[in-house]
Amino acid sequence: MPEPSEFELSGRVTIGQYLPTGSVLHRLDPRVKLCMGLLLIVGTIGTRSLLGLAILMAAVLFGLRLARVSLRFALSGLSPALPFLFLLALLQVFAIPQHVAGSAVVWRWRFLVATTGGLFAAALLVGRFCVLVLGISLLSFSTNTTELTHGVEHLLIPLQRFGLPAHEFALVVNIAIRFLPILAREAERLMKAQASRGADLGRSGGGPVTRARRLLPLMIPLFLVSLQRADGLVEAMEARCYVGGKGRTHLIQLRARPVDMATLAACLGLSLLAIGLGTLGADAWLLHRLASHT
Amino acid sequence: MNTASTPIVEVRGLWHTYLAGTPLETPSLRGVDLCALRGETVGIIGPTGSGKSTLLQHLNGLWRPQRGEVHVCGLSVNDPAIDLRVIRQQVGLVFQNPEDQLFERYAGDDVAFGPRNLKLGREEVRERVREAMEQCGLPFSFKDRLTLELSQGERRRLALAGVLAQRPQVLALDEPTAGLDPQGRLELLRILRQWGKDGDRAIILASHNMEDLAELATRVYVLVAGQVVLEGPPEQVFERTDVLVPAGLSVPPAVEVIQELRRRGFTVPHAVLTPAQAIRQIEAILHA
Repeated sequence: MPEPSEFELSGRVTIGQYLPTGSVLHRLDPRVKLCMGLLLIVGTIGTRSLLGLAILMAAVLFGLRLARVSLRFALSGLSPALPFLFLLALLQVFAIPQHVAGSAVVWRWRFLVATTGGLFAAALLVGRFCVLVLGISLLSFSTNTTELTHGVEHLLIPLQRFGLPAHEFALVVNIAIRFLPILAREAERLMKAQASRGADLGRSGGGPVTRARRLLPLMIPLFLVSLQRADGLVEAMEARCYVGGKGRTHLIQLRARPVDMATLAACLGLSLLAIGLGTLGADAWLLHRLASHT
Repeated sequence: MNTASTPIVEVRGLWHTYLAGTPLETPSLRGVDLCALRGETVGIIGPTGSGKSTLLQHLNGLWRPQRGEVHVCGLSVNDPAIDLRVIRQQVGLVFQNPEDQLFERYAGDDVAFGPRNLKLGREEVRERVREAMEQCGLPFSFKDRLTLELSQGERRRLALAGVLAQRPQVLALDEPTAGLDPQGRLELLRILRQWGKDGDRAIILASHNMEDLAELATRVYVLVAGQVVLEGPPEQVFERTDVLVPAGLSVPPAVEVIQELRRRGFTVPHAVLTPAQAIRQIEAILHA
């Protein structure tokens, strides 16, 4: 694989990309997929068990498989975050004291102490992060933005009673998401144009003021172009007599099928299982069993 | 044309694929060969998405060749040790709608961006800004104008001056006249013709506007789906409607008129490019 160019911005961010492979997962009701995403987040953050996390990870990997997305592509979005993640894990192990019952010292060097409790917490942290990134990537791989905003809008409709403008909210989200790749392309073009005039945008170093100044050739035109685009969009919408909110009907009517409900139920079950395993202390029991075996 | 001239740009077997190695990979260039001699103005014609812009961006090292070779001004873009800033100074690249890239408050400062990046002295920068602005038909006094107050045509010429201020050997332009009014277009073509007169320089012009190429180019490449399908002097290339039209390209109106005359049984001996040439041919027919 050739190394990506310094300018190919859109190639490096895999999260938020839609991959039209037309799989079973792509055909699920977007509302269901959104709820599954929420359940995954709740489950991942809620669980205190590595075993529970492993179950959720397995579910996400199974989902990627179903969506026909190669694992390598999904993981490539994770790689830029790995150094930070490693640093966080180190901090978790050494800097935050872990007073967990039954925690034993594994390794000690001067003031650095690693306990089983610390290692456990670090593993949980890294695991959570990976599951979240992969899970949310999976949602975006298999759901295009129109479906996504439809889903958001429909899920928010009950809140309209409390004065929440569901349709407008969904529209804002839709436009924001829709414009991200456009802005990325624009930024790419500007970076290239300024690099052609000898700008050194990739260089690091210098104080914060110098670094901010170096970005001016990029930021100012980017803002100008964005405002121009927004202006054009408003005019185009007005020209087509756009009126939001009340009484607006939809071309696509969402209908949940039995398969949607079943998937949702399975996802709910897995999340509850993960959280349940944490509260029951499944890992401690497992570690204990392992320790008694050796 | 100077026949003893040497190639200043040489592209051999260039391949490029966007987002290679991901499910979204799209082939862009598929084995392109191209060369430009000193003193030439080379046109690249192609429909949208044919790879014109990608090809241009290889010429100043914005992309490194994935496969194939790119040489400019005796430097190799393939060479990993080469200082890309030198190549980018030698090959001035003007993007599509370059007026969008201006960012300084004052026009003169924007033109000075390139020379300042070259770490030139104050006087030298001033001299280059003056020269580049005048080459682009902007009086030096415009340097104190607010960038945003200039008209669109002026802003485009200012952006061009920003590239010329680096004193490149090769000028590569992507759709330079797109979106300009007729007068702005003629002015821009005049500037390019003037700049290209120097026998040491070369211009490479990517466009789907046949009239621009008919006016300027000494040689034309037709790029379709990342491959060169035709190459030659414009009057020969524009005769090949059998290749151009299926590819989604048109020919200049003057060429079209002559071809229609031929279809109707008139003998038109010479190929034409511009309306003036067409008129001369029609006059010859009328007087015969």
